[in-house]
Amino acid sequence: MNSCPIAISKDFIAKNLIKLSLQNTHKINLIWLELAGCSGNIISLLNADNPDINYFLTNMISLKYNNSLMAAEGEKAYRQFLETLDTEFILVIEGAVSTKAQGLYDVVAKYNGQYVTGMEAAKLAGERAKHILAVGTCAAYGGISAAAPNPSESVSVSAFLKRDIINVPGCPVHPDWIIGTIAHLLVFGVPELDQKNRPVIFYSINIHDACPRRSFFDQRVFAEKLGEPFCMFKLGCRGPVTNTDCPIRRWNDTDNWPIGDNTPCIGCAREGFPDLMEPFIRY
Amino acid sequence: MAKITVNPITRISGFLEIEVTVENNRIIDAKSSGMLFRGFEKMLKGRPPLDAVYFTERICGICSTAHSLAATLALEYALDIEPNENARMIRDFVHGCEFLQNHIRHFYQYTLPDYIKGPNIHPLINNYSVDLRLPPDRNDKLVQHYLESTKYSRLAHEMLAELAGKAPHNHGIFIGGVTVKMDADKWIKVRSILDSILSFVKDVMLEDVYTIARYYPDYFLNGSGYGNLLSYGLYNTYKDREAFYVNPGIFKNGTISSFDENMITENIKYAWYEADQIENKPTDEVEIEADRYKEKAYSWVKAPRYNDVPFEVGPLARMWISGIYNNGISTMDRTIARVLEVIKIAEIMQELLKRVELKPSGQRKYSVPDQAEGKGLIDTTRGGLGHWIDIKNQKINHYEIITPTSWNLSPRDTKLQRGPVEEALFCAEIKDIENPVEIGRIVRSFDPCVSCATH
Repeated sequence: MNSCPIAISKDFIAKNLIKLSLQNTHKINLIWLELAGCSGNIISLLNADNPDINYFLTNMISLKYNNSLMAAEGEKAYRQFLETLDTEFILVIEGAVSTKAQGLYDVVAKYNGQYVTGMEAAKLAGERAKHILAVGTCAAYGGISAAAPNPSESVSVSAFLKRDIINVPGCPVHPDWIIGTIAHLLVFGVPELDQKNRPVIFYSINIHDACPRRSFFDQRVFAEKLGEPFCMFKLGCRGPVTNTDCPIRRWNDTDNWPIGDNTPCIGCAREGFPDLMEPFIRY
Repeated sequence: MAKITVNPITRISGFLEIEVTVENNRIIDAKSSGMLFRGFEKMLKGRPPLDAVYFTERICGICSTAHSLAATLALEYALDIEPNENARMIRDFVHGCEFLQNHIRHFYQYTLPDYIKGPNIHPLINNYSVDLRLPPDRNDKLVQHYLESTKYSRLAHEMLAELAGKAPHNHGIFIGGVTVKMDADKWIKVRSILDSILSFVKDVMLEDVYTIARYYPDYFLNGSGYGNLLSYGLYNTYKDREAFYVNPGIFKNGTISSFDENMITENIKYAWYEADQIENKPTDEVEIEADRYKEKAYSWVKAPRYNDVPFEVGPLARMWISGIYNNGISTMDRTIARVLEVIKIAEIMQELLKRVELKPSGQRKYSVPDQAEGKGLIDTTRGGLGHWIDIKNQKINHYEIITPTSWNLSPRDTKLQRGPVEEALFCAEIKDIENPVEIGRIVRSFDPCVSCATH
């Protein structure tokens, strides 16, 4: 495999890898657990295209538990969660682990008359999952759920579960990052990870280095306000400290992305977001 | 007498518990409890005011555009900024994209599994389903549409991103309007997507909702609740009739009257919070502290009231107050109104596009005053959303958020009045207490977003 991350285009990851995964007839179970957050990462997953959500659910994995999508409700839903624990499964967690008041700031179910906190569900599934993916910035680093003064005492998944975790940050996560990472797990095993346990294929590019407005920076042509087509370094752009492939991948099957929309990158995929990334707009 | 607890209510955004007491197959008591709390109002204290736009949209992954707009309106009020008409039309178009995305997903992905036997795909396989009434051929057709619909909700977000950078959590809605420069390339792209979504809704979705209505006529008779409806207004700033939807208003005791935002309060008697005052106006600078162990409290959702009375908000409230849909107030009417609203909003979006000019965004460099107050009230996918901001020393001193689902999912208040969803459940018939499917169907007709409601 070519080690140059830019050469590994989205076509390669999103289509070729999936074609390979098709050859596996056995589909692994997957639990997508929403914890303390906005549940925006499952919404982002639904925006996936080539493969889309129907392909993902039909051909790649068997989604046994997810609060936003599953048909079952109440105890019957949670029973599906418990039954999956005895199988081989991938655990995807979005949202931070909220630890205040023994976890009661985030209750995900009631079973046999007892509350099941997000903490408890994360622990139960986290101890038994074959792989764990912390998707979105809240799961990967605490994110906005852990923003100061962190009223819910939220922590990242890796701070809570002491084991190997693949971080797939972003606020929200890009659907290609999550599906590509899962495709890698299915076909080639654990992808190459960087020091922050992020898949290198998606997070090795510095936004500032690959930014189409980089030449404006080099020539010192800076935007003085939002809405201008120049470098937004002086408006507080966090591209120089944030690594994702947004500059080449773009968003929602368009050529657009925050910088393309004439606004600064706010470092939403970076550790320390939002507290260390503010002010988002520097006037 | 039996107690039934459904937790989680799945196929909503966030975590919700519904507890009902049933006697002789009738619900005689109902409680709705929001189960997630993060504390956004506390987090916002001391932050740079302009950051509220991108910060507050992260309250919610499903309706983030709504929050970016309410925050922007509050800041525009505080900074005394008026966006130009062109930028406002683009912004209103972007907001419309969220309605299309939310409503299509809500009908197909969140509502339909209550009424049809889903496709043989996890997590849609539900071995416990009961009371599924569609004949196999009709059921199969709706299953097919369930799968097809994901394309159109995705396309709605594609339009949103084309103009506002990305979705969820857009960048393009900002103080002064938008940041995008509309050009012919973007214009024709969103125009063509919008046309394809509207075709799908008119040709497929509309028939689908009436198919459900035909097989479940009893759902026109339950889930009515108080019948008090409220809207902050939506698409009401344009003079042209074609681009107009609904003015702010309330419907109570059979009459529509004008809306006065000063009548809004929030009551915390049965919510997990402590404060010096149990009832507060959004502009009151009261320190509200979370207390998960507070006695008798049962939800993270506070209880908004209008003139001390609970009100339902959402698509049915808007369609009713605007006079477009007055068939009834019930579980099924809510669901039908939501689908009809997709058409109304898509047609307004077409009108906005006709009027949009290819001009620069008109952004300016804004300076934050030492002191200022602002408010942003607007109807969003699930109903009226309000943001109130108080700026001191160029920082956020106080921020208050009341979301649509706070109105709908509110717990009881000091007067022991039930919240609108609780009231909608009250008296409903539960045919089989082992499989109380009615609860989820009634609750989902409100399209709850608990991430928002508790924030």
